[in-house]
Amino acid sequence: MEKKVVVLPCSGIGKAFGEIGRQAVYELVEDLRPDDVTTTCLGRLMIDDPEAKALVQDKIVITIDGCTQDCARKTVESSGKKVECALRVIEAIKKNRGLKPEGILELGEPGFKLVHILAQRLNEEVDRVMRKGQ
Amino acid sequence: MSEEITLEEIKYDKVGIIPCNGEEICEGTLTRHASRKVLDKLRPQDTVTICLPLFIAGDEGERNFAKIFPTITVDGCNKRCSQLSTERLSGKPSYSIIVSELLKAHGIEVPQSRRTLTEKDQIAVDVVAEEIANKVDEILEENS
Amino acid sequence: MSKDFIEMTYDKFIFRVESSYLYHPDECWVKRDGELVTVGVTDFFQKTIGDVIFIELPETGSELTKGDETGMIETIKVNVTVISPVSGTIKEVNTELGDNPQWVNTEPYGGGWLFKMAPSDWETDKKELMEAQNYFSIMEKKITKEMAKE
Repeated sequence: MEKKVVVLPCSGIGKAFGEIGRQAVYELVEDLRPDDVTTTCLGRLMIDDPEAKALVQDKIVITIDGCTQDCARKTVESSGKKVECALRVIEAIKKNRGLKPEGILELGEPGFKLVHILAQRLNEEVDRVMRKGQ
Repeated sequence: MSEEITLEEIKYDKVGIIPCNGEEICEGTLTRHASRKVLDKLRPQDTVTICLPLFIAGDEGERNFAKIFPTITVDGCNKRCSQLSTERLSGKPSYSIIVSELLKAHGIEVPQSRRTLTEKDQIAVDVVAEEIANKVDEILEENS
Repeated sequence: MSKDFIEMTYDKFIFRVESSYLYHPDECWVKRDGELVTVGVTDFFQKTIGDVIFIELPETGSELTKGDETGMIETIKVNVTVISPVSGTIKEVNTELGDNPQWVNTEPYGGGWLFKMAPSDWETDKKELMEAQNYFSIMEKKITKEMAKE
């Protein structure tokens, strides 16, 4: 069955939020919704890779950004595609004040709790956009 | 209108490391870990990292930095997203690494997971990080 | 209102100082707004502390003395205290920051303002605040020291 949704994290390397978003997308794509959701490299959109552009054009796009620069959303939009839903990692963190990642790439247990929470949030958004797309 | 004051004449005492962070393949994850190792442990005084998509999404800070300062791009595969984007949107990098080719040259297996790196995968991280660090030294030596 | 900045570039970072504001050494800015003063944190400060995720602000009506701890900013890296740069009464707090704490990072001199006060002794307190150019010189030294450490 063809996957309907592509989710793109910013994968920012300067802050833990980038890694949290990236890991949440992997959890979504590999564990929670392997039949419905895929991802691709943001860099491929930056170089106008035809395959990556076609993937994004054909599918419903959700982006997950680590900070207010909104790199994932802006990169998708610069490729000519409107993002159906643009989330920020900080939304998950704001509601879970006691959890803080231990490092920028080595998130530790509390960081991975945030990853799970964010993955569930993304899962809900996938349901919503797929229902809307029907 | 703003008055611009730069600290002093620009000295090439920093190298920008620009990993591709490719999400699709394990080598993309390697570019992240290797770049952070250089930034945090191997050459903390000599390097900064730049999030690649900030060339599109950010203000002029990142683009200007990569135009003025030397950069090293670290790509996971031969699509060379970091190298090509840096060339197109900012300035030609001083050096470009392709992780898949580097690992092949060293006879090192590519990690199996893009989510987590095993202890064995750390060897791959170390090899890439050393390559970046050595190139940082060369670049700063040339520019001093 | 358009903003005029003094700017400094270091590596990939651009640091801005709003030229019409006054500055406290503890990285607050103060802007006179009629009978009130508006208080926020500097661009250098927000860059140092990282992405803001929570803010605790003083209550309206609180009486404060210059130097009192008046609020707390929590980022992914640190929890930092905000002090009151002048003495007076809190008249208004920026409640929008509850849902939008990131404005402290993105608009430190604008939408990221923290609170407004009716100062009780403005003529005395303002003597201890710095003009933008003086603060800029101090910021320059801090940046060089901070960046050299990393």
